[in-house]
Amino acid sequence: MNQQMTGQQTKVNELIENIERVMVGKRDAIELTIVALLAQGHVLLEDVPGVGKTMLVRALAKSVDLQFSRIQFTPDLLPSDVTGVSIYNQKEMKFEFQPGPIMGNIVLADEINRTSPKTQSALLESMEEKHITVDGVTMRLNDPFFVLATQNPIEYEGTYPLPEAQLDRFLLKLKMGYPVKQEEITMLDRTANVHPIDTLTPVMTRGELLEKQNEVRDVHVSDSVKKYIVEIVSNTRKNPLIQLGASPRASIALMKAAQAYAYIHGRDYTVPDDVKYMAPHVLSHRLLLTSEAKFEGKTDKQVLEDLIKKTMIPIERGS
Amino acid sequence: MRLKDMSSSKWVGIALYIGSMLLLMEWVLPLGQVTDTGGTHLFIIYIVFCFVISLIQLPMWIAPFIKLAGLMFLLNYIFYEPSFFSLAWLGELLVDLQLSTQALLGQSWIELTPVFRTLLFLILLWMMSYLLYYWFVVVKRPFSFVLLTFVYVTALDTFTLYDGNVAIVRVFIFSVLILILANLNRIVDQEKIKVPSSRTMAKWIAPMAIVVFISAAIGFAAPKFEPQWPDPVSFIQAAGQNGFGSGEGSGGVNRVGYGEHDDRLGGGFIMDDTTVFYATATSPRYWKVETKDEYTGHGWVRSDEGTPTTNESGHFPHISDYGESVERNETEAELQFIEPGHLNKIPYLYGTETVGTTVDGVSFYYNHTTGELASIINEEQDLVEEGYSLEAGRPDFPRNEMREVSVEYEESEEMPDRYLQLPDDLPERVSNLAEEIVSDVDENRYDYARAIESYFEDSGFEYATSDVAIPSDDEDYVDQFLFDTQRGYCDNYSTSMVVMLRSLDIPARWAKGFTGGERAFQQDVFPGEGSNVFEVQNNNAHSWVEVYFPEVGWVPFEPTVGFDNQANFSTGESIDDILDGDTNEDDPLEAPENDDQSDLDDLLDEGNESEEDGAVGSGGQDSNFNLLHLFAITIGTLLTIWLIYMYRSKIVASWKNQKLKRKPSAKTITNSYQFILKLLEREGYQFQSGETLREYAYNVDRMLGNKQMTELTQYYERFVYREEDLISEVDQFYQTWRQLTKQILSK
Repeated sequence: MNQQMTGQQTKVNELIENIERVMVGKRDAIELTIVALLAQGHVLLEDVPGVGKTMLVRALAKSVDLQFSRIQFTPDLLPSDVTGVSIYNQKEMKFEFQPGPIMGNIVLADEINRTSPKTQSALLESMEEKHITVDGVTMRLNDPFFVLATQNPIEYEGTYPLPEAQLDRFLLKLKMGYPVKQEEITMLDRTANVHPIDTLTPVMTRGELLEKQNEVRDVHVSDSVKKYIVEIVSNTRKNPLIQLGASPRASIALMKAAQAYAYIHGRDYTVPDDVKYMAPHVLSHRLLLTSEAKFEGKTDKQVLEDLIKKTMIPIERGS
Repeated sequence: MRLKDMSSSKWVGIALYIGSMLLLMEWVLPLGQVTDTGGTHLFIIYIVFCFVISLIQLPMWIAPFIKLAGLMFLLNYIFYEPSFFSLAWLGELLVDLQLSTQALLGQSWIELTPVFRTLLFLILLWMMSYLLYYWFVVVKRPFSFVLLTFVYVTALDTFTLYDGNVAIVRVFIFSVLILILANLNRIVDQEKIKVPSSRTMAKWIAPMAIVVFISAAIGFAAPKFEPQWPDPVSFIQAAGQNGFGSGEGSGGVNRVGYGEHDDRLGGGFIMDDTTVFYATATSPRYWKVETKDEYTGHGWVRSDEGTPTTNESGHFPHISDYGESVERNETEAELQFIEPGHLNKIPYLYGTETVGTTVDGVSFYYNHTTGELASIINEEQDLVEEGYSLEAGRPDFPRNEMREVSVEYEESEEMPDRYLQLPDDLPERVSNLAEEIVSDVDENRYDYARAIESYFEDSGFEYATSDVAIPSDDEDYVDQFLFDTQRGYCDNYSTSMVVMLRSLDIPARWAKGFTGGERAFQQDVFPGEGSNVFEVQNNNAHSWVEVYFPEVGWVPFEPTVGFDNQANFSTGESIDDILDGDTNEDDPLEAPENDDQSDLDDLLDEGNESEEDGAVGSGGQDSNFNLLHLFAITIGTLLTIWLIYMYRSKIVASWKNQKLKRKPSAKTITNSYQFILKLLEREGYQFQSGETLREYAYNVDRMLGNKQMTELTQYYERFVYREEDLISEVDQFYQTWRQLTKQILSK
């Protein structure tokens, strides 16, 4: 098992390195994105434009040889613009379904909070259920199906913030952040002639990815680690700074994320470190801080870090 | 190591070691006062000797031999006449050791000879010289010993007569200097400061030393608050004023000693080793002071004060008006009072006929009814400082004749019936018990008395000086002791025997005085008397029983558990029979005492000595033996506890090591890993809240400078989080674990 795991790790590393050729100095974000991909979850990216969100998704799609599509959310976008629409074909004398961008493998949903809640929920529901229903016909989405949605944190005007229940559908929320100067220079160097994305070749097949997604599900989670997950999640419900704590869905998400994280580190079992590392990413968008906490200037991440620090880590079997 | 090469920290080490020696001396110094350990200066010399040898740092193979030689020399000097180099004394020493070893194996602690005890004590000091070297110089952790010394000195000062006023100042100065030096040394070690030169070191130390001395001086001179609670010593002494066995009905704890008032017996008492008098004698014999006749149910009073006979010659033949069948052995004794306290009568031996003193103008009186012998100076009953001489014919009581005496008192005995007096309300079960005791015994007075005398020992009565009950007003002292408590000291036993004898119509009375005391090796009262001088302390105050036998007289009996009847009983047969007989039936060591022709005179003297210790010591009256013993045991126990504490990690480590090796299981693996966590925690690697094992291991490895903790943690993680059984890989786990434990423990 161990040798096999090391093999997997090499493969995942190749994938990460491949993406890194395009994305300079963003290993964490890449790793987390791959965690979400392997855990069959979706990622919410909260960041300013131009830091490489699209590039990340495209590079990922290209590296795994997957179909990439992009939806730019605007206030006038309709649900059918996402899911696809049936158009009457006069020649054939029948309605033909024109698949929307959601029918891709890797979907970049850009500025998701710019569109109306109706359109948002069309996307989010399909993310959860992995199928869409258009004109009474249910269609399965592609497998793998991975959504990377972005939302712009500063441009709040004219936006429709995602309701908490919808945010829950994302496995992770992450931020890219600006590259440091040296990285930015490297980036300029690389893009001087040909954009590296064009030279990217797939390092993993779709079949391999599906196989890995299955393997992630088999990563062992011991009772003590499960208990640790539940402990963290239930602590968010008790914390006085948090108005609304994480749901049981969050516990499941945290476990899946920890499994995938363990997997990409070549382990077939999770350790508390996986949980501890993933918890802020998995939980931060699922909490609603109290106004006191906001007033004190605390962020989700700070509150979560304090909370995790106070949670006892199991160091014995079954404890 | 040459002195020149020594760094300043070595000098600090030497200073620390000398400091530890000074502290150890503070432990030994009070012994002379608190116990009767003679020649504390010899022990001090030995301590210095051992420390000097340790300091010189001779090769490992020679230092112990030199220390041993010093020990032997000291033993020879204290106990043996032949010179050290004659080697003749070695044989005696061996016999001594052999006897003591036998006693040790037989658990008869009281028979250990003084030589053996001294030897053990010297060995203890020897070991201490090693231990203190380790504590102070090697591990540089003097605090525990410093603290213990303080506790020791203050406890002795508070609860005994030892005056620690100056000692505590000395201990303070030594201790603070030691702690300063040790700390300095540790800081230099820990902070990896370049070892400063001796001159710098001196510059650092000098101001501190000055501060210490000045503060000690100010502290010593400054006015101090009165104690917030009364001094327990004066309380103890005040309680002791009432004397042993007086109680005054107030109950509580008294101090042992001779007292006048016996009308209310009961309650515990505290040992008091104040010397009452020194006496010369060939063997320890009871010193009688007086008798009492009327039992009140709570104690003893006199029904008749009697009429004393006074004369200047001091010749009172009727002190010992024994019958003709009683053989007498002429003997002489001299008495010299040291602190008689409330005693204003002259203690005398059984068989005394004449008392004398070198002082002019002293007349003597003897009260035949009360058995009191006293001297009159200027018409006042008082004791002379110059002491007394006694001439006595030590009686050998004829057992066979005594056996012929009928149990019950007969008119023809012409004995006042006050010696048969019993209180009216004496519970009937007392006399029932007496009858039951003698039911299987030959019907004669002697055997009846013997049966009751040995009843207490045979029935498991307990000798105790503390927690002894005091009967309430409606309880009978004897009844309470016989049936309820079965625990007490001589008053309980002697009173009970008298009462039981009287209930059988045997005339008996209650005698008071002192036991024979202990051989005093270190005394200057009777120079030239050697080991034939006995020191009688307040601890030796005693009470016993006298039973009347017509044609013989008043014969002493000793019912108290742990004490032997000192009177001689003869059968008119050979001396061996006597020795095998009743007199010494419990004590084989007594035999050599009478065997004057033995080749091993010196040795036997020691034997007697220990036997005497035994007789008294087992009764709890001899504080010398007990305190020394206690001291050694306490130090030994403390040392053991300390050692176990110091090495607890190593002990537990090797234990876990064995367990992990022999029985690898989920439990042992968990325990072993958690043991490492504990060890690390003790070394200062705290497990932070919310820290994972991996993070912790990483931090630890960074500090220790290797990867072992991470390696071990990886195994353990697989065990806990992957829930593998790991048994197949336990060897690797074990290897890593062992290396890591070693590394942590060696830090």
